[in-house]
Amino acid sequence: MALSLYIDRPSVLHRRHPVAKVLAMVTLFVATFLLDHPAAIAPLTALVLFASAAAGALPNLWRLRWIVGPVFVFTLVIWTLFYPVPAGGAVARGEAFRFGFGMALKLETFLATGLLFLATTSVEEFAFALTRFGLPYRAGFVLTLAFRLVPVFLEAALTVVDAQRCRGLDFTRGRLHERIARYVPVIVPVFIGGLRRADQMAFALEVRGFSSGRVRTSLPRPRPGLGDWLLVVVSAALMVAYGALWAHGIGRIVPG
Amino acid sequence: MSAAGSAPGARGSAPGTRGPALSVRDLRCDFADPPATALAGVTLAAAHGELVAVMGESGAGKSTLLRCVNGLVPSLAPATCSGEIVLGGMPVLGRPAGELAGHVAMVFQDFEAQLFSTNVRLEVAFGPGQLGVPAEEIARRVDAALRMVDLDAYESRDPSTLSGGQKQRLAIASILAMAPEVILLDEAATDLDPVGRRELYATLARLRRERMTLVAVEHEIDPIMGADRLYLMRRGEVVASGPPAELARDPALLLRCGVRPHDLSLLSERLGIELPLDVDAAVEELRRAGARQRTPESLAGVRVAARADGGRHHDTAGSARRPGSSAPPGSGGQPVLEVEKLTCTYGGGAPAVRDVSLRIGAGEMVALIGQNGSGKTTLAKHLNGLLRAERGTVRLDGADLRTVPLERAAQQVGYVFQNPDHQLFAATVRDEVAFGPRNFGLRGAVLEERVQGVLDAVELGALGDRDPFLLSKGERQRLAVATVLAMAPRVLILDEPTTGLDYPQQRRMLDLLVRLRAGGTTVIVITHSPWVVAEYAERALLMRAGEVVFDGPLVRLFGEEALLRSAAFEAPPVTRVGRAFGLAVRSVDELARVLVVEP
Repeated sequence: MALSLYIDRPSVLHRRHPVAKVLAMVTLFVATFLLDHPAAIAPLTALVLFASAAAGALPNLWRLRWIVGPVFVFTLVIWTLFYPVPAGGAVARGEAFRFGFGMALKLETFLATGLLFLATTSVEEFAFALTRFGLPYRAGFVLTLAFRLVPVFLEAALTVVDAQRCRGLDFTRGRLHERIARYVPVIVPVFIGGLRRADQMAFALEVRGFSSGRVRTSLPRPRPGLGDWLLVVVSAALMVAYGALWAHGIGRIVPG
Repeated sequence: MSAAGSAPGARGSAPGTRGPALSVRDLRCDFADPPATALAGVTLAAAHGELVAVMGESGAGKSTLLRCVNGLVPSLAPATCSGEIVLGGMPVLGRPAGELAGHVAMVFQDFEAQLFSTNVRLEVAFGPGQLGVPAEEIARRVDAALRMVDLDAYESRDPSTLSGGQKQRLAIASILAMAPEVILLDEAATDLDPVGRRELYATLARLRRERMTLVAVEHEIDPIMGADRLYLMRRGEVVASGPPAELARDPALLLRCGVRPHDLSLLSERLGIELPLDVDAAVEELRRAGARQRTPESLAGVRVAARADGGRHHDTAGSARRPGSSAPPGSGGQPVLEVEKLTCTYGGGAPAVRDVSLRIGAGEMVALIGQNGSGKTTLAKHLNGLLRAERGTVRLDGADLRTVPLERAAQQVGYVFQNPDHQLFAATVRDEVAFGPRNFGLRGAVLEERVQGVLDAVELGALGDRDPFLLSKGERQRLAVATVLAMAPRVLILDEPTTGLDYPQQRRMLDLLVRLRAGGTTVIVITHSPWVVAEYAERALLMRAGEVVFDGPLVRLFGEEALLRSAAFEAPPVTRVGRAFGLAVRSVDELARVLVVEP
């Protein structure tokens, strides 16, 4: 079971410095957040989709279509239907729809930006970038480890469920508290197995020098280059431009 | 050293140039919780470039010995240790493991627990990175280590997508990149299938050629026959040491240490002739010594079976012990399970099981064999309804399993998972066994009687009030069988029931299966162990890439050498020797009965 959304490709975005990618993602998030009108958000959505296509990241959107699709539809419907009505006035149906459509596009752009980042940045690179922003190494390592281990634990849990079903355990019978109690034969082996594995991992980590006390190094990382600076500058400029539009009230829809 | 295959950052010098790479003297180790003496004065040495093997029963102290060498004991597992451990001239006993990282490294049995990264290259770079090795040097070491274990083509892969053998080789590459002086292997091959083991041993052979010092704990004697020295341990002490070929000549000693003797040393003893412990050389020696089949008169009671290739084999396996062993598949009685054209595909990939049809009769003992990923477990899970047939049908007593609730099917066809810890949860052994039958409505005196009967059957009758988690691995494995037996299944499926057990524990488990089968239970065993198949099964189902490529009596399977090779399975040494004399035998006893050495 693959949990990682990283897609190993030699694209221009993959080659960017992880810190530059984190900064670009954050500035894109901010720019997307500022405005509400679909016409203002659509260029950002198009930009992210174009970058996703160029980086070969579209399969992630397809993989998560069961989230991406419903999020769009529900957001559009909910915001359109519940668009605030001004006191004593009526709401133009078109305006409510525009607002709902803008919110749906906004959420989809957030999702697509995040997926693009995860498709082009490995967990280790992400953790490295976070340490550059001050996150302790061990916290970054735990993040990496989670991505590696969650599928392993899930697999173990599914095996335990199978093993107990073979002993007649039925999770669907009885009242709520009885059903909850039936999970004990699953939780205990998973928990004990997790503790055993944690113990073994601690041993393996020590043997690999995790507590050697020396200054840690890593494989050579390219220094930030022109392309990285360009990415940061362009995305920052985009954020500033959207900030300016927001300040002038352009592209905003203020309900009520 | 060749540039392409040399050990990365190797620091080991030529043997004998600066004393032993590792020396352990009078090492004692006592744990406080629970109180136990794990090592009672162990002395061991490994010169530079040597492969030293350590064998012994479970609980003999083998793993504790390795963990003392790399500092895990006592730094992470508190214990009182005394004696001396010297690593390349440096006393190390009591030093923290982190401090010794880079000097001594270790490969563990559980390959999942020693890989931390999401990419092969980063995994190998992890260790040297923790040691502060300069970036350019890390890159050089990573390249060299991956070449050394033949994983250079996989450097961008996610480790979770590798096979077991590849993961273990990746674990080796990861420690090679730390340029240790000594590598410790703690049953590194135990969880691997035959292909994975072969890959691992090939890698170790390469490391030896590069003069790495290796200390390997092993359960099987065959793979370590090429070691420089073998240490046999029992109850925390070294009871014998010497060249493996020499110690292997003493089957009684090996048995005393919980190690299965080599087939050919047992045969030597039975025939009264010293045989080399290599099949081809042994056959040559037997021929030279004038070995031949006994006269037909002396073979009274031994059947002659027709071979698949039209030749004739003396099928001694019929012997009184296994009536009907060469009976056609599915004829062991009324068919209990019938599979017709079963195909199973996960997530749109290649079929895990492809067009399988078979019948399993009541009271049969069947071995389900094939390398990892060949479809054994998927097929087995269809047999008790854990997986529902999407294409094809599986019938239990004539009823389509798709129409039978899992709970009812599982009651009839019990399934014992590979890892007993995947199902144990109760506070006492007795409660653990009672869980299944209680789910099926059994209560009161009937339940108690059933539980006690099953516990007695698996020889755990006296441990009913114990905490299951405090039992030994062998006891937990038998308890797992008991939890399924308590539901009185007619068919019992066991997924690798002997993995991780020492030889006496394996024998007890297998003898239990023989008793169950004698009581009328149909037994299906998934296993990688050739001797288990040879000595205990009657019928083999060999799987390759989702297909059953052989279904028939064992005597015929062991004649199909090309087929076995293609499925990465090998007959036990004694069977291969027998074949050279035109005999289809499955154990040393059988061969010794029909072969005579008369100069």
